[in-house]
Amino acid sequence: MRNMNRKMRTTLKLVVLYSLSAIVLVWALSPVFWIVISSISTRTELLSRPYKHWIPHRPTLQNFIDVVTVGQRYRAGGILPTAMLLLSGLRNTLIISLSTAFLITSMATVVGYCFARLNFRGKNFLFFFIMLMMPLPIWVSIVSLYYLLAHIGLIDTNLGLILILSTLSIPLAVWLMITFVRDTPRELEEAALMDGATRWQMIRRVVVPITMPGITSVFLVTFLNTWNSFLIPLIFTNTARSQTITVVLSLFVGQYEVAWEQMAAATVLIMIPPIVLALFFQKYLIRGLTLGAVKG
Amino acid sequence: MSSSKNGLNKTGTRNFIILAMFMPIILLIFIIYYPAVVTFFTSLTSKNLRLPGTQHFVFLKNYHTLLKTKEFWTVTLRTLVIVVFTLILEITIGFLIALLLNENFKGRGIVRTLVIIPWMLPPVVNGFLWNWVLNGEYGALNGLLYQLGIIHKYRFWLQNPNAQIFWVIIVQTWTRFAFPMIIMLAGLQSIPDELYEVASIDGAGPLDKLRFITLPMLLPSIAVSLTVEFIAAFQIFDVVWTLTAGGSAGNVINPFTKTLMIYNFQVVFRDMTLGLGSALAYIILIMSLAVGIFFIKILYERAVER
Repeated sequence: MRNMNRKMRTTLKLVVLYSLSAIVLVWALSPVFWIVISSISTRTELLSRPYKHWIPHRPTLQNFIDVVTVGQRYRAGGILPTAMLLLSGLRNTLIISLSTAFLITSMATVVGYCFARLNFRGKNFLFFFIMLMMPLPIWVSIVSLYYLLAHIGLIDTNLGLILILSTLSIPLAVWLMITFVRDTPRELEEAALMDGATRWQMIRRVVVPITMPGITSVFLVTFLNTWNSFLIPLIFTNTARSQTITVVLSLFVGQYEVAWEQMAAATVLIMIPPIVLALFFQKYLIRGLTLGAVKG
Repeated sequence: MSSSKNGLNKTGTRNFIILAMFMPIILLIFIIYYPAVVTFFTSLTSKNLRLPGTQHFVFLKNYHTLLKTKEFWTVTLRTLVIVVFTLILEITIGFLIALLLNENFKGRGIVRTLVIIPWMLPPVVNGFLWNWVLNGEYGALNGLLYQLGIIHKYRFWLQNPNAQIFWVIIVQTWTRFAFPMIIMLAGLQSIPDELYEVASIDGAGPLDKLRFITLPMLLPSIAVSLTVEFIAAFQIFDVVWTLTAGGSAGNVINPFTKTLMIYNFQVVFRDMTLGLGSALAYIILIMSLAVGIFFIKILYERAVER
């Protein structure tokens, strides 16, 4: 009798836990689910009223094909069809995110090592100098930076965006590398130095291999943050030459002639890299995105 | 010769540090600090790109003007309302989900992986996702509620100003709740089981345990969450831009969801009143300075001290 009771209670507890989990997942994922559904629906089904095609009767990939080949004519710009804007947006975002991630990861590895292992004059000041801008609104810089970059012709270029987004990525990347290097034993480094290696050689042969998971983490976090960035690209770009995919999306929002099903397909394209990272590389992202509070 | 290249050599180490720090310092000066200084001087002038040649030194007049403007206070108050409600919602939802995921059951790893997806997406996309869900003509919310018989007519959910603020808060919460959740989950997992066992022996109920063990032990996690989320919510821009701001392609920016960052964008890049915009940027900086310094202190304690 008592045993039965206990079993019932465990089952009941599980039912409660799974129901709550279901609620949590509905809260977190339903807008994502809906955009995916929209992207594979035909226009007729998607725009039917009242809506009843929660699972499309005739799922289609045509929207994805349309959005990168034909596209709607984007009205306000009037010149480029959406397909070209989207493709150039994807290209720009890829170039910018990858360059920034490579640049910042290599830089942060060396700087992080300095902070973690070496003592030098002005160390605390430099730490403060690097970190100060991370929590503060960057408008104080943006206002003048725009006209500064305009002078030297870096507005509306990928290079300009890479410079700004890289600089904004420095604090987090450096801070992360400090914690990653500090968590590894220093004996191997000392042995390499004793053998006559220079600091640079030692970093390449010892620090990089040992902190590889940390370096991966910094790379992915920087890539994700750059991919997701919007305000900086919005301000510092004007044309398809350098507009990123997030900016292109924002241009479509609020346009009356927008084709919703194609816009959904475009949005899904933007969401693919972050979702892939979240699903398969979460371990690397978590530590980076929680300021080390959670060891990934 | 070899000794000067050796990593243990004092000059070698110094040169190494200088070389290593060179690029980040140059970048930071060029992109952040020098422009910030220029902005400060601009804030003391009447620079306006619409009226070229009218730049005068006006000292603190721009600051004075802003602090007298009604719109500035409306926007500030609105931003604070968004911050306060977002923080409350995020911490509550994050805490509840952390409690759930702290239980042992099969599949909780999958739930944890999936639940942080909104946080990984570009905020500007999140604004659009909800804009689409709430769409008055074809949105999923209308479809669902209509099908369930809760509403009998499609509604424009983002029509009235208060509703817009409400949804901005919801979407910002949806975007960011995973951060406090993960921080607090880590906090929960670091509480030793013995504490709860001892409390059980002393006859404490679940609510007592929550109040006297869980919450006090979670205070550091809550402090970190509040700091980081304050910074994120105070600088809210992307989510609003695609949800309700409607400023794309040079159109008019919706005044009812104008937050400080959007206000600053408008003053600088739409009105072209650079002097005023610069002053506004510095006022916003000063407003977030206290939390910002606290944040850097957390970073310092975790990385350099110890």
